[in-house]
Amino acid sequence: MPTTRRAAVLGGNRIPFARQFGPYAEASNQDMLTAALEGLVARHGLAGERVGEVVAGAVIKHSRDFNLTREAVLGSSLAADTPAYDIQQACGTGLEATILVANKIALGQAESAIAGGVDSASDAPIVVPERLRRKLLRLNRAKTPAERAKAAAALRPTDLGIQVPAATEPRTGMSMGEHMAITAARWGVTREAQDELALASHQKLAAAYERGFFDDLLTPYLGQTRDQNLRPDTTLEKLGSLRTAFGTGPDATMTAGNSTPLSDGASTVLLGSEEWAAAHGLKPLAFFVDGETAAVDYLGGEEGLLMAPAYAVPRMLARQGLSLQDFDLYEIHEAFAATVLSTMAAWEDEEFCRERLGLDAPLGGIDRAKLNVTGSSLAAGHPFAATGGRIVATLAKLLHEKGSGARGLISICAAGGQGVVAILEAA
Amino acid sequence: MAVETLSSVPATAPLLARAALTARGRRGSEVPERTLRVEDVRVDRARLAAYQRLTGYDVSDLLPQPYPWVLAFPVQTALMARPDFPVPLPGMVHLENRVTTHRALDAAQPLTLEVTAGALQPHRRGRTLDVRLEARVDDELVWECDSVYLSRGRGTEDASRGEAPPALPEGPVAGVWRLPEGLGREYAGVSGDVNPIHLHPLAARAMGFPRHIAHGMWTYARTLAALGRGSLGPSSSRVWFTKPVFLPSTVELVVQRSGRHVLAGLRSRKDPSTTHVVVTLDD
Repeated sequence: MPTTRRAAVLGGNRIPFARQFGPYAEASNQDMLTAALEGLVARHGLAGERVGEVVAGAVIKHSRDFNLTREAVLGSSLAADTPAYDIQQACGTGLEATILVANKIALGQAESAIAGGVDSASDAPIVVPERLRRKLLRLNRAKTPAERAKAAAALRPTDLGIQVPAATEPRTGMSMGEHMAITAARWGVTREAQDELALASHQKLAAAYERGFFDDLLTPYLGQTRDQNLRPDTTLEKLGSLRTAFGTGPDATMTAGNSTPLSDGASTVLLGSEEWAAAHGLKPLAFFVDGETAAVDYLGGEEGLLMAPAYAVPRMLARQGLSLQDFDLYEIHEAFAATVLSTMAAWEDEEFCRERLGLDAPLGGIDRAKLNVTGSSLAAGHPFAATGGRIVATLAKLLHEKGSGARGLISICAAGGQGVVAILEAA
Repeated sequence: MAVETLSSVPATAPLLARAALTARGRRGSEVPERTLRVEDVRVDRARLAAYQRLTGYDVSDLLPQPYPWVLAFPVQTALMARPDFPVPLPGMVHLENRVTTHRALDAAQPLTLEVTAGALQPHRRGRTLDVRLEARVDDELVWECDSVYLSRGRGTEDASRGEAPPALPEGPVAGVWRLPEGLGREYAGVSGDVNPIHLHPLAARAMGFPRHIAHGMWTYARTLAALGRGSLGPSSSRVWFTKPVFLPSTVELVVQRSGRHVLAGLRSRKDPSTTHVVVTLDD
């Protein structure tokens, strides 16, 4: 039986996040992941170093990028004998990658590792309609001129067209925003509460930039030095003036201002054993304590698409013997402002906690002053797979600032009715 | 040396047209002592990204080592299109290039570019011309490049052959690249080097080539990109364009590393004894 040890978060690096079709419109996932990785390597003196493994992924991925992470490693200054693999768990990708490598380190299977994620909503693979795709494959298979002529004759001008991937659930045909609007209505989340959360996100992220918090967490890319989506001067009035984008009638409370925009970006996190860190002159910022994933059955509308973290967190808390209030910081990914508010409302709801979570008492509320203290995805943007790495690195540094023993909770919702959550503790 | 400062990077196409129209009348052996200088040259990120994609670099803020050559190309063309320039520009062949990067070049930093033509030297197949390019950030020399071009014509049989390139390593193939027929047109699009010998078989034939050929600067950049990040920081590289690469064709990359020194090159897939390009890199 292997004994376990603590895996430490040693640092992180990302590129500023940009809006879709913005300054990174010409950059591929591989370009961005390589840039984020190279910045991490430079900052931690890892050039020429063989790292245990690099694990990352992208949600929207070209089929040619089958070895995306390995290719990024080869394009970086890491030793070429550093292994890598791709994973994909929708918006949970970056955090799931962190859990995987932390577990390997804890088990002694790796001394060091890098977790990350990247997504481009701009450089998206273009897909031809399914009917055309099948006809083209048939044409490609044809061997004789007669077969080829027959296959070619089946092509119709009306087959033409391209499909750009969208954040739509394959089984419901509904966008993530439409799903969220139903959940927001179910929990009675108001437009005002969402706009306030969005405003706070922008203000807190701007303040974090002002105090230089991101100076050692970020490498400029393509001329961008801050998250492009950040609006330090936005106001409740401006947010309140936006038209609703999802939902209908009185339930329409979600706007482009309190939902995350489609974004481009990449992030990476360096983890290692304490011995490896010491040997490389690196100081642990935080230790990885635990991680949990959950999924909900959203198909019949029984549960909301983005509510899985509400289930994952209490399972992890029970295992750790912790209450929801035993944390100094909370990082709840702002897919939509309504996601954060619905999740918190569910934890405070006696009936939900009893019937859905099987608890005797509600988990209770969390101190809003400890929530997303340097802003989150509403301000920074949300390149799907890159969000986990952004949050892990940010929280590890925040906990380190608070001092040894400080504890932080991460909660990230993902498409397919999934959720990934984790606990970090300051080193 | 007279230094003339141009107000901006000139447009290449009219200069090339003028150089073509005035090609016949050019004679003499004296290269005017003149340096053309352009200040505050800004990198267009979309063009840089297109160049990076076509030459195999990651899209990033770091300029590939040959990129300032591309930025300076219109200035170099302007120098050679001057009425008193002794050799015709069309049909000129790039033989060699030597580049030193003193500091990694960031796309955000405006550059001051200088182009100076050196002396004409006898060559077996005509005369060679040395051209020196320099790039500065503020007053700091960050990049320098010496190119050797051949102006084909009556040669001098006993002319000095210069330093021969090292022989390509014999080792296993490190890569196989299929260069498409349209590569020259694509590279012309991102680099502005629209020399007809790269664009189309008919245009190339008019200039005395059996087919159109790949840009030497593309083969150079593509090879450096394949060698990793070494040439993105302070480093020196050298390239010899030994045999043209006709398009389309398939070439093999061979690489030999010894410490910080890398020897690489491209050879013909069909006939591996044909060496097209030899590159050395020291970082």
